Amino acid sequence: MLLSRTILASGILAITAASAQAGKENDTFVWSTSTEMDTADIYYGNQREALINAYAMCDGLLHRDPITNEFQALLATSWEWTDDTTLELELREGVKFHDGTDFDAEDVAYTLNHVADPDSDMKIRVLVDWIDNVEAVDTYKVRINAKRPTPAALQYLTGTSPIYPSGHYADAPVVPGADGAERRDWGAVQPVCTGPYKLAEYVAGESLTLEANPDYFEDSPKGKPSIGTLVYKTIKDPETQIAEVVTGGVDWIWGVPPENAEMLSSMGNLTVVSAPTMRMSFLSLDAAGRTGDTPMTDLKVRQAIAHAINREAIAENLVGDGAEVQKSMCAPVQFGCETDVKQYPYDPEKAKALLAEAGYPDGFSVPFHAYRDRAYSEAVLNDLRAVGIETDLQFLQWRALRPKIVDDEVQIGHLTFGSNGILDVSASTSYYFTGGPDDYARDEEVKAWLEEADRTTDQEERKALYSKALNKIANQAYYIPLFMYGRTYAFNKDLDYPVTPDEMAHFYLAKWK
Amino acid sequence: MLVYLSKRLLMTFLVIAVTSVIAFLLVHLSGDPAAAMAGEGASQADIETVRETYGFDRPLYVQYLDWVSRVVTGDLGRSTYLRADVTDVLARHLPVTATLGVCALGFALALSIPLGVLAALRPNTMIDRFSLWLAVAGQALPSFLFALGLMYLFGVYLRVLPISGSETWWHFIMPSVALGYYATPAIMRLTRSGMLDVMLSDHVRTARAYGLSPWRVVVRHGLRHAIIPVVSLAAVQLGFMLGGSIVIETIFSLKGIGHLAWESIQRADIEVIQAILLVIAVAYAVLTLLADLLNAALDPRIRIS
Repeated sequence: MLLSRTILASGILAITAASAQAGKENDTFVWSTSTEMDTADIYYGNQREALINAYAMCDGLLHRDPITNEFQALLATSWEWTDDTTLELELREGVKFHDGTDFDAEDVAYTLNHVADPDSDMKIRVLVDWIDNVEAVDTYKVRINAKRPTPAALQYLTGTSPIYPSGHYADAPVVPGADGAERRDWGAVQPVCTGPYKLAEYVAGESLTLEANPDYFEDSPKGKPSIGTLVYKTIKDPETQIAEVVTGGVDWIWGVPPENAEMLSSMGNLTVVSAPTMRMSFLSLDAAGRTGDTPMTDLKVRQAIAHAINREAIAENLVGDGAEVQKSMCAPVQFGCETDVKQYPYDPEKAKALLAEAGYPDGFSVPFHAYRDRAYSEAVLNDLRAVGIETDLQFLQWRALRPKIVDDEVQIGHLTFGSNGILDVSASTSYYFTGGPDDYARDEEVKAWLEEADRTTDQEERKALYSKALNKIANQAYYIPLFMYGRTYAFNKDLDYPVTPDEMAHFYLAKWK
Repeated sequence: MLVYLSKRLLMTFLVIAVTSVIAFLLVHLSGDPAAAMAGEGASQADIETVRETYGFDRPLYVQYLDWVSRVVTGDLGRSTYLRADVTDVLARHLPVTATLGVCALGFALALSIPLGVLAALRPNTMIDRFSLWLAVAGQALPSFLFALGLMYLFGVYLRVLPISGSETWWHFIMPSVALGYYATPAIMRLTRSGMLDVMLSDHVRTARAYGLSPWRVVVRHGLRHAIIPVVSLAAVQLGFMLGGSIVIETIFSLKGIGHLAWESIQRADIEVIQAILLVIAVAYAVLTLLADLLNAALDPRIRIS
């Protein structure tokens, strides 16, 4: 009897402990996604979860205000391009890292020089490839020598490039590489930063816990942390995430399936909102004829495909809350994204007429490659079938599709891209149209415009060049932009935090109501 | 006995070797591991860097032998995704799966053996029909649906059990029931048919004629014989639970081996996949051996021959 009572009591304790972890009364904010984190160091991963945590625990030189999109002083107090390739920054004094050491110019030079090194294994090279080297001019002043004029540099120096203390990577584990060689696993080192939250615990693939940094500097544009503890944990199954958020085991989830959004918003304890993301869904058409003799090389065929697809219906009815029709081959939040380009309204009759003009009155048959969301690809296929284009759907995993793209085997590819979260068109349009393996247009003029835009510091001139390139891409219907993915968020009603269109979660701004 | 044992060990070794070769080939044939590791949106240069860093540009047999030569020294390699030694990763995930497997089997045995015995003692009655119904339902219901049903009832509606995670024993109740229930029908049917046969046999009739208590007749003289095939089946079921609990582990967010294997396949974390296959192959072999030994203990005839 005593025993069973003890078991029962400890069980009740355990349950209350488990379910009361999250929430306002414990000042512990628990958020969950289905991603298993592969590193806590954003330089060595490209997951949103790592970036969200990096924004909370780390500071970059600059801060991009997520609401106004303006650059603000963070670890740097002022900055200036002294010539086309030299950026000088004055640094903030009196800032301390979470391990107690003082922040100064040596730390900036160390961190940026480490990741800019071609052998650093840094994941998103574009963020640092522009850096030739970084010098500490004096204790609170650094000079970044760029390899070439880099107009997007300020963007690259925001939260995506946190500053670590000098010598930070010295303890990176040595692990076996190929053929008995050794390599350093830099990404295994846990970040030490200056941000509003301190890293308390990281379990790879499972969870990451942050605690408020009471010594965070007063006048940071990110503000002092309000919530005591932020816990990230991976919950793979969406149904389980929903069950947890409904019962208060978790305070915040995103990617709520459209069929559950309504049910969740009827719950008294949750706020449900939708917002677009940076991920675009589009068709890549082989206009350059990389796969050989294909109808895709004919402009009329490409325009017919564009007219055949009911993008509004797919975005609104299928993809659901937060999704938007994509007008141009870039994410609208990105700098330089010209959306005032030629549109191809849904018009199956016109599509058939264009196909007939191109010499395909009875349509044709073509392999169609896709990898991400089968339902969306099938909706596109249905629209194409309605105008006489028969498709053979090859639905593959990304890692199987990618080599086919590189090896000139994809006539029509239904692809998606999130620009690695970079808010500049150089990360999206330039990725696809500057002659790389993903470029199935191979338009020399577009390539030249984009390359010039990517290195022009004059912002108006840049915009004009991107606009020219995006206009030609649309006129030629090289790629068919379909929709921007949307995302539905569900979170604890007691939580006050801004949902932003940059597909980020700025939890350092969050407060309990 | 020694010859028998060494034969068995050789077989086990061959099984493990063959599975690891097949698994290795499957992982490499299902796409470009370098592209998978570099992730979506990686440039071709990034992918080439990954290919060189991890040696994916070498012939497959060289890569395989490279792995084998390290495993025999006890080095299971490193998870490129989780950035940790595979030994440490397994040490974190194995206890979760082992706890789940043992609890689930315990639940399955506790439910199915008494039901099987009752059904055999009262054939074609309500009890028999009920246990048949329970068995058919267990086989027909997809485990994920049953798991979600449990989660809704006990986690969301009644709020008496935690929904996900593995922090306390309470976290294991729903997953164990969901996983164990799936094994119930087979064990129950086998117990029932075994008991039906045994209860009609000469020695049970003799035992009854001696006037032994019905309990003693059923348990000592009936069940002891009927349970021999059940032991072998339970061992196989446990092996299945250790390797095949992917769905249950995913639903209840238990970070166990099945879930880890599934995730590692997705992200081409080759050394983790190889290590898990090794562990599961060994577990199967050991469980089968243990079942044989247990059967020998239960049945003197096996022991002597």
